[in-house]
Amino acid sequence: MGTILVVAEIQKGAIREASYELVAAARGVAEAGGHEVNGLVIGSGVGDLASQFASKGAGKTLVVDDAAAAHYNVQVWSKAIKAAAEKTGADLVLIANTPSGWDVAPRVAAGLDAAFVSDCIKVASGDGGFDFVRRIFNGKLDAQVSSTGRTVATLQPGAIAAYTGSSDGGTEALSADLSAKAKFVEVKASASTGVDLTKAEVIVSGGRGVGAPEKFPEVIKPLADALGGAMGASRPVVDAGWLDHPYQVGSSGQIVAPKLYIAAGISGAIQHLVGMKASNFIIAINKDPDAPIFEVADVGVVADLFDIVPALTEAVKAAKG
Amino acid sequence: MKVMVCLKQVPHQDARLDVKADGTWIQEDNIKFEINSYDTYAVEEALRLKDSAGAEVVVVSIGPDRVTQALRTALGMGADRAVHVNDPAALGADALGAAKILAAVAKAEGADLVFTGLMSDDGNSSAVPPMIAELLDMPSATGVLATEVSDGGVKVERELEGGALEVVEMPKPCLIAIQSGANQVRYASLKGIMQAKKKPVDVKTLADLGLADSASAAQNKTTIKKVYVPPKGDSAQILTGSTDEIVGQLVTKIKELGLL
Repeated sequence: MGTILVVAEIQKGAIREASYELVAAARGVAEAGGHEVNGLVIGSGVGDLASQFASKGAGKTLVVDDAAAAHYNVQVWSKAIKAAAEKTGADLVLIANTPSGWDVAPRVAAGLDAAFVSDCIKVASGDGGFDFVRRIFNGKLDAQVSSTGRTVATLQPGAIAAYTGSSDGGTEALSADLSAKAKFVEVKASASTGVDLTKAEVIVSGGRGVGAPEKFPEVIKPLADALGGAMGASRPVVDAGWLDHPYQVGSSGQIVAPKLYIAAGISGAIQHLVGMKASNFIIAINKDPDAPIFEVADVGVVADLFDIVPALTEAVKAAKG
Repeated sequence: MKVMVCLKQVPHQDARLDVKADGTWIQEDNIKFEINSYDTYAVEEALRLKDSAGAEVVVVSIGPDRVTQALRTALGMGADRAVHVNDPAALGADALGAAKILAAVAKAEGADLVFTGLMSDDGNSSAVPPMIAELLDMPSATGVLATEVSDGGVKVERELEGGALEVVEMPKPCLIAIQSGANQVRYASLKGIMQAKKKPVDVKTLADLGLADSASAAQNKTTIKKVYVPPKGDSAQILTGSTDEIVGQLVTKIKELGLL
């Protein structure tokens, strides 16, 4: 019988939902493989949170409670997680694929000379290791990946429903060498921008398929205007400098849920889908019938956006009289 | 100051993705390749240090002969030298294997800074960069949008969720994994491409790096069993017909939503 170590992440003074998704994944694997589930909480003054994690599914939970862990630091976290993995003899270490998770998890794997699989949407007990499913090629394909021996894995937030049951198991302090060369300075909140897409009833977003910056005011904006809505964009458009960051919809931009979301020339990378999939109604227009955007859309059109969008703009104007 | 940039050559973003016969990866014959988009931002970030502080920029890649093209492109953009790890045993090495190779190159080069992209457009793992740093016991930061280098060290801004930024200071040597959009990437000029032809590309094998038995694909701890088009779940109702018919159906839907 082996052990699965679940690493909690604290955000704004509470354990994140994604951490309980890891617990659910761990419990699923443990049920089939007969593993014991253990938790790990890292921070400063986090004793109560560790007790909470221990009783809400993680089971026996190690706590690294140290002033050096008052803020996330990649080397502090890497050392704490490696120490906890050694202490529990963990066969599988689960970490959420968040900005701190993807920063530290590969270091833990390399430090332990363990297998590493990232951003998984499924995890199961396997033959001599573990089996995973993950997205590759920006969501266009899935891959089944198997690991051998000790394994560190990150899970995509939202892929597995969070554990809502309870568990027995107290907490145990763990001390580790937490020395680090990197130094946390501060977190800067996102600058207020003036473009607030979260208030819009209708958003018309364009992606890489729009092809050129001038096509946004020529093609995308007129449809947004005709519908009394706002214009948005996917990350590649902003990265290319075609539109400013405030227009970006996605996990690193604005999270929106309008009554109607029209995605034109957007293939649907995960980071974009996270930002718009809660929309009430989604229309996707894309030339590629296999584009992942059609998975979240209510209605899809497989066509050149330049054939559809201008015609739709005229039809909307005509319908309004 | 010596700056090393790790870059990966990946299938072009618009390339056809057909699963190959044994089902374990895509068919890579006769498709176009390009420098991984995230890595182009890493090359640009390094070249800015060359422009502002006279840094020497060394670009490094692992892969078969075709990778020469990606290295030549980076040299054309302005990098000074290239290292090409070209060894059949390294083809298909997993993330940890690739990290061991790149860490060995960084150590041999004595790099003060190692730049990479945040992730690759094909495997999407974002695994290799922090692994390189861990193997070399140097600090690292991923998802970096801004880099400020001084004599003492480096100050970076990491992208968090919702547009927040985390500011971190690190001494050199350290590793910085650049987020897409961190800068405006330059193109290789015609003059740059001509000059690149004379710049050195060192070809290395795993044995040259002392890694013959420790970083090859045979040592992989992870194996891709199968790749496939994701199963269609509750996907969209696809509208068909002429453009006018499709537009008519869309207008009907928008009316039903009470938006017209």
